Amino acid sequence: MNLWRRQLGAVLRLEWRKTFFSKRGWWIYLLALGPVAITALHWLFEMGRSSSGHSLGDDSVIYAGMFHFFFLRGAIFFGCVGIFSSLFRAEMQERTLHYYYLTPLRREMLVAGKYLAGLAMAVVLFAGSAALSFLLIGRHFGAEYSNYIWHGPGLSQLGWYTLTAALAAVGYGAVFLMCGLLFRNPFIPAAVVYVWEALNPFLPGLLKKISVIFYLNNLCPVEVPLPPPLNLLVVETDPTPVWLAIPGLLAVSLLLLVYTAYSARQGEISYGE
Amino acid sequence: MAVYKKTYRPYEGALTARWSRLLVIPRYAFEDLHRRKFLTTFFFASFLYPLVCAIIIYVQHNASALSLIGAQGAQHLISINVVFFLSLLGWQSMMALFLAAFVGPGQVSPDLANNALALYLARPFSRTEYVLGKMSVLLILLSLMTWVPGLLLFGLESYLEGWSWAVDHARIASGLFFGAWIWILLLALLALALSAWVKWRAAAGTLMFGVFFVASAFGAVINGIERTNWGHLFNISYLVGSVWVWLFEGGQPTTNGAIFFRAPRGETLPLWTSWVGLAALALVCFFMLARKIRGAEVIR
Repeated sequence: MNLWRRQLGAVLRLEWRKTFFSKRGWWIYLLALGPVAITALHWLFEMGRSSSGHSLGDDSVIYAGMFHFFFLRGAIFFGCVGIFSSLFRAEMQERTLHYYYLTPLRREMLVAGKYLAGLAMAVVLFAGSAALSFLLIGRHFGAEYSNYIWHGPGLSQLGWYTLTAALAAVGYGAVFLMCGLLFRNPFIPAAVVYVWEALNPFLPGLLKKISVIFYLNNLCPVEVPLPPPLNLLVVETDPTPVWLAIPGLLAVSLLLLVYTAYSARQGEISYGE
Repeated sequence: MAVYKKTYRPYEGALTARWSRLLVIPRYAFEDLHRRKFLTTFFFASFLYPLVCAIIIYVQHNASALSLIGAQGAQHLISINVVFFLSLLGWQSMMALFLAAFVGPGQVSPDLANNALALYLARPFSRTEYVLGKMSVLLILLSLMTWVPGLLLFGLESYLEGWSWAVDHARIASGLFFGAWIWILLLALLALALSAWVKWRAAAGTLMFGVFFVASAFGAVINGIERTNWGHLFNISYLVGSVWVWLFEGGQPTTNGAIFFRAPRGETLPLWTSWVGLAALALVCFFMLARKIRGAEVIR
């Protein structure tokens, strides 16, 4: 057990550095920084104005929309595609994966180490970005916003948004780590998953549950309805309770990871293909 | 002959005509694409929608076919008008995005990743010809998916409806042609630029897909937070949609764009901003290509 922990730690340290300081990941940083920059600009612009044309509630709803449509369906999804699918596939491209495979290291440890390194990056970037954006979006209300956070529902909302972003990274991370190991071109499964997740509101109840976004939507503190005419096509389904959604998502992610580890154990390298 | 006597002798055979040299690239590219079953299937599947449209047009003008299926009043259900052709263009253009994301990134990145660009440029073949040759692969494929079936359907409707219909609706035909070309050129430039900068093919494909969807989400975020419409400038589908509406209908639009390419009413920006936005994107792509497509690379 001690050996496994040391091996896991070693892989994590190596991968952490590679993932965080990779030049090819510049666009992932942009994805995470975008909302922070916009909310910071909003704060600065509104500070310069004598009176704000909107209320704190408006900003809360706008943030909820941004979280649903930008973070969950855009930034975290594509960010995880970039981070996790390249963990194995990039090493195949650079023909360096065999260095790992030649070491006396269990493949399961390698998968776990790579996953944890990717997860650390995704959580730091996207959960951090979601939290920072939340703190900045209403900052121009001054004391009223501080009061909203410390004595109102703000802190709880901040916690749920951050947790949801982290869970999105856990779920999508497991999916795309598997895609990166199993598919030569992970873009094709990523496109399929994207379409499937986008269609989620319109799917029948049973099919809705075979997705990540369904559980994440239930965790968001503020609900955002789809705009018309798309709302007419939405199939209403009972939301999954939180006590089931979180363990359910974690369990599915674990299942995918176990399968990925099993596949890695069976895998052979053929750089020529 | 002794080896030391084998000195350099330039090629003395006939050269390919200058104008047709760039066609060598698509010739080999199509052979390669033809071997990829998924792409071939996807390409042919993308003609399903135009086929359905052709059936609709035919059935609308065939009273016996309508009475056969017991739908005499069906011709009032779907009108063959601007919306019909805009929907066709919108759907086919989305298919074209997928195809460009599959095909485009594989055009330049392997040459750069394997340092093979010098092999092209060492021949009497310019950088412009190289880019045009690579681009022509996409231009041909995407044309076959967008304006070619569009104009064929327009021709079918004109044939069945009469010459006067074609004259009255000539703007639809020109809108189909020029609207599709704007989208095709943008896609081709974006695909090649990303392919030149992101050497891993799959990542370039994902990035292309991401540029389209994430940029529009980013634009929506700007609109929401700053209570403005200027965020639409980040939304490629809005920019293309608003230009299409103008191309199809001119100054008095009755629609708000095509499926996937809408310019929502009440949120419109001046039309020139859409043109400037598209031109800026094309310029960025040109710049990215010019930086990377070079015969020699200086590594400091």
